[in-house]
Amino acid sequence: MKPIKMALLLSSSIALAGQGALAQGDYSKFGIKEDLPGTCSYANIDKKDYSGKTLNIITHAIPVMGEPTALHAKQFSELTGAKVNVVHVPFGDLFQRIMIPFQTGQNAYDVMFYGSLWIGDLNPFLEPVPEFYRNSTGMKDVTPNYIGVASWGDQMVQYPVDGDRHYLKYRTDVFDNPELQAKYKEATGKDLKVPATWEEYNEVAAFFTDWDWDGDGEKNYGSAEVVKRDDLMFSAFISRVAPFAKHPDVKGGFFFDLETMEPLVNTPGWVRGLELFVEAQKTFPPGGNNFGLGDEIFSFGGGQTLMSYSWDDAYIQAMQTDSRIRDKVAAAPLPGSYEVWNRKTGKWDKFDEPNRAPYITWGWTSAVSKNSEVKDVAFDFLCFFSNEANTLHDLQIGRFGVNPYRKSHFTLDLWQGKLGWSEKSAQTYIDTLSGMDLSKNRVFDLRVPGVNQFMSALAVGVSEALAGQKTPQEALDGVAEQWRAIVDRIGKERVREAYAKVVALEDNLQ
Amino acid sequence: MYRDKYFFLLPGLVVLIAIIIFPLLFTIRVSFSSWDVFQPGLDYIGGRNFARVFEDTRFWESLLRLSVLSVSSVLLQYVIGFALALAVWREIRFRRFFRVLFLVPMMTTPVVMSVIWRTIFHESLGPANDILQAIGLGTVPWLSTGTAAFISVLIVEVWQWTPFMFLLLLAGLVSLPREPYLAAAIDGAGPIRTFLQVTFPLMAPITIGAIIIRLIEASKIMETVYVMTSGGPGTATETSSYYIYIRGLRDFQIGYSAALSLTYLVIMIVSLTIIAKVLARMLLPREG
Amino acid sequence: MRTFYLAIKYLALLLWSSFIVFPFLWALSTSFKDANAITSGATYIPWLQFKPSSQGWASLFSDGSTGINIVDPYINSAIVTISASVISIALGTLAAYGLSRFEFRAGFVKNSDITFFFISQRIMPPIVLAIPFFLMLKTLGLLDTVYGLILVYVALLLPIAVWVMIDFFGNIPRELDELAMIDGCRPIGAFFRVILPNSVPGLVVAGMFCLIFGWNDFFFAFTLTFTKVQLLPVAIVSLNSSVTPWWSLSAFALISVAPLVLIAFLVENFLSKGSLAGAIR
Repeated sequence: MKPIKMALLLSSSIALAGQGALAQGDYSKFGIKEDLPGTCSYANIDKKDYSGKTLNIITHAIPVMGEPTALHAKQFSELTGAKVNVVHVPFGDLFQRIMIPFQTGQNAYDVMFYGSLWIGDLNPFLEPVPEFYRNSTGMKDVTPNYIGVASWGDQMVQYPVDGDRHYLKYRTDVFDNPELQAKYKEATGKDLKVPATWEEYNEVAAFFTDWDWDGDGEKNYGSAEVVKRDDLMFSAFISRVAPFAKHPDVKGGFFFDLETMEPLVNTPGWVRGLELFVEAQKTFPPGGNNFGLGDEIFSFGGGQTLMSYSWDDAYIQAMQTDSRIRDKVAAAPLPGSYEVWNRKTGKWDKFDEPNRAPYITWGWTSAVSKNSEVKDVAFDFLCFFSNEANTLHDLQIGRFGVNPYRKSHFTLDLWQGKLGWSEKSAQTYIDTLSGMDLSKNRVFDLRVPGVNQFMSALAVGVSEALAGQKTPQEALDGVAEQWRAIVDRIGKERVREAYAKVVALEDNLQ
Repeated sequence: MYRDKYFFLLPGLVVLIAIIIFPLLFTIRVSFSSWDVFQPGLDYIGGRNFARVFEDTRFWESLLRLSVLSVSSVLLQYVIGFALALAVWREIRFRRFFRVLFLVPMMTTPVVMSVIWRTIFHESLGPANDILQAIGLGTVPWLSTGTAAFISVLIVEVWQWTPFMFLLLLAGLVSLPREPYLAAAIDGAGPIRTFLQVTFPLMAPITIGAIIIRLIEASKIMETVYVMTSGGPGTATETSSYYIYIRGLRDFQIGYSAALSLTYLVIMIVSLTIIAKVLARMLLPREG
Repeated sequence: MRTFYLAIKYLALLLWSSFIVFPFLWALSTSFKDANAITSGATYIPWLQFKPSSQGWASLFSDGSTGINIVDPYINSAIVTISASVISIALGTLAAYGLSRFEFRAGFVKNSDITFFFISQRIMPPIVLAIPFFLMLKTLGLLDTVYGLILVYVALLLPIAVWVMIDFFGNIPRELDELAMIDGCRPIGAFFRVILPNSVPGLVVAGMFCLIFGWNDFFFAFTLTFTKVQLLPVAIVSLNSSVTPWWSLSAFALISVAPLVLIAFLVENFLSKGSLAGAIR
């Protein structure tokens, strides 16, 4: 019996029957080079028979995360005989699409792909990952950062499928260019080097703004950042604030003081970060202060700007084979600061080496619903989704948005060997990413109930400061005021209990 | 025999009430609860949500912004729509072509067209600035300064909904009686006097209806703002419905957003009634 | 003087026409671009200014994982929109006729209040109705079905039908009804035999508005379905990832407009024949 390819009933619903038609061990027709051994390898999943069962999946829009979901759903369906329905939703509406059925007790989706920062809201509705999968070969390879991101206290409720973080991306054809180095030295009296602090970042960006430094006839600019208010801007802002406000020796909270649950968002470290953010606007391309993530990717990835920082997308876009600036980019840790606000002493502490505080930004994760009637199928799907062969395949396709999150991903062989990146582009990428795993001064997202409320209040305040409607201090005072109100509404103890789990990660207690 | 009248009214009324009664009552009930992302379900917290609405300056600012936006966009649509309708009313070349063309924007999906417009207004990659530069006018910060972003949203609204006015007014013009025009011609009235004394008064009832309906629809403006500016820069383009959307579905403050919506509903009903009365007094001939 | 006036008039019409057409031309050009073509600044003419790519159009008709298949959402959208429009117009026409010909009174409620009640249904921001509608359809077992969507769309479209038809019937002389009733018809008979056949233009306009608003509604189609039923606007936003794919959205914008442009032709046809006279007043 050969697989019957049905005229698909829905854009992305996949219903395929057919098992046993596959030659033992040859799964290359699925677009992978070869099946790799592992708990949920093609061969192992092939043995399962889920015909008659239906799996409903909600995921992000195509292509980022949405395309690999649809692809592996189709494969899973062919291998096991299960019927798999997939719906794709833009990021801005993903939360409500998941939350409305949960809160009204409707069993709508078995598997969800979403932003890991929502764990504080969603955890009551998620099925913990069973031991079998926690001991799977794939899971054993996941780096501690992403095990932490997937856990709620000591329970793992999210299934890691992606690794995310913010880091600095820059153009090597500028930073390594002797002519431009000389020009920079002449104008500023300083050596041109990759910025180690946010002050330097702004300085370098300002110099390289509004003139054509790559000789393509179009003007170039210094910095592209995600600034559009409701389009993930809060993440960019946290990246900019972290080194000023996350003191390596002060424990007990970055967003709040865990003891009193007082917001720290208007303390001097945060204000300093916002001041520099406001200043940096001069170095944005035209329209840059309304850039969403997509614009940032086009701007840096398309060669318009010198530097950028956010998720991997812009870097991967720049490294596409048909890109104009392939191999002309490199990665570095986010800039830091020589001065860090110490909220315990109420003073700025000076550092000899810039303080760095890697922001382990939320990224894509997946989970199984507690209400699901096919949890075994659901977990097998996620395990299959992230099996060795599939992960290797997905990492190599930029638009999939699957980024390194396992120890085996941080090898030069993969990036330089398999993908043909230049050594510098590949080496700086691996070093930057794996370096973040070693840091003892990390910042995680505010993974508490109502995280969207906190972040949208933050984004509005920052946006008002950027637009010049308020000074940075006024704007952040306003945010702190709103945060207090939100904490009061949710209940102080409830927020504290959740926030304690985040602080435990940050303070390396886990 | 006049029992028949219920045969006409009741089916529609009953169906509408049947569909809408539960959502409406439910919304009222929810507005007195603290239903939130961390607290699903219906408790009772009295009028606390409404007290919060009154202190919520962001909501009242958004309402003010909304009134400026909807009134100015509807007026522009009315003036342009009327002018276009007059232009293609009588026999002219390519009349059918113009008439069909002028209807098209209304047929497009707002959420999709907003994405297209956003690319048009893209300050370095879009054609708007490219063309302005080509004719030597310099660039405009379309979406990144408050005033310009407001105007960009206005332009898109006018593009999308002028056809609605155009259609209503053209259909009205086509059905005007001939006699008053003959009378005016005999009086020797020029085109401007004819318009002021004949056309405009005859079109008054349809003007009122069209403006009210457009105001209702324009007040729900949401996709354009969401896609083009997401309310920014700062809060420069945040309108009430977008704000309610943020509170309701982004923040998931269900109870509070219900209170916001009901407040909004009452304000809209009151102000629309007043606007309709004022328009009627201004435009309709006094009776008796 | 007269030629000058005419020149101004044509110039204005031409200007407005280009304003209307421009986004479509831009979308047409963009639909053949790829990321490289887009990031090199604004360009307009394929081959001459950029290398055309078919990925935008291909993504709309792929059945695999790389895009969406818009055929089924197209059909779903048509089913939901047309059914809801037909129901709304049937109910709305009856109600409008009743309101324009008879007096209703219940306490302080008069005809104009009932009319306003109908129209006021459109004032409520849709956002807030999402959860109640969700719960209602859940109880009825109609979530993620076309029937559930039709039900909700009727509530959205009925007010439009009532509004258009009330104005329309207001313009049909009452003598027509009376003549029919003298012939021995009861009001119901008079309505079906005499009034309805004379109402086609009004029905066309009401139908057009219902189709437009139904076809373009995004919000309810989005919230009240899960994985089985997708409508056109929902299908297209499933391509709106963190990287906005200018190309496929452009292709989609063009293709989703197509059926409604046909309606524009139809309506214009009625206008030109003058048979729309009094359709909206």
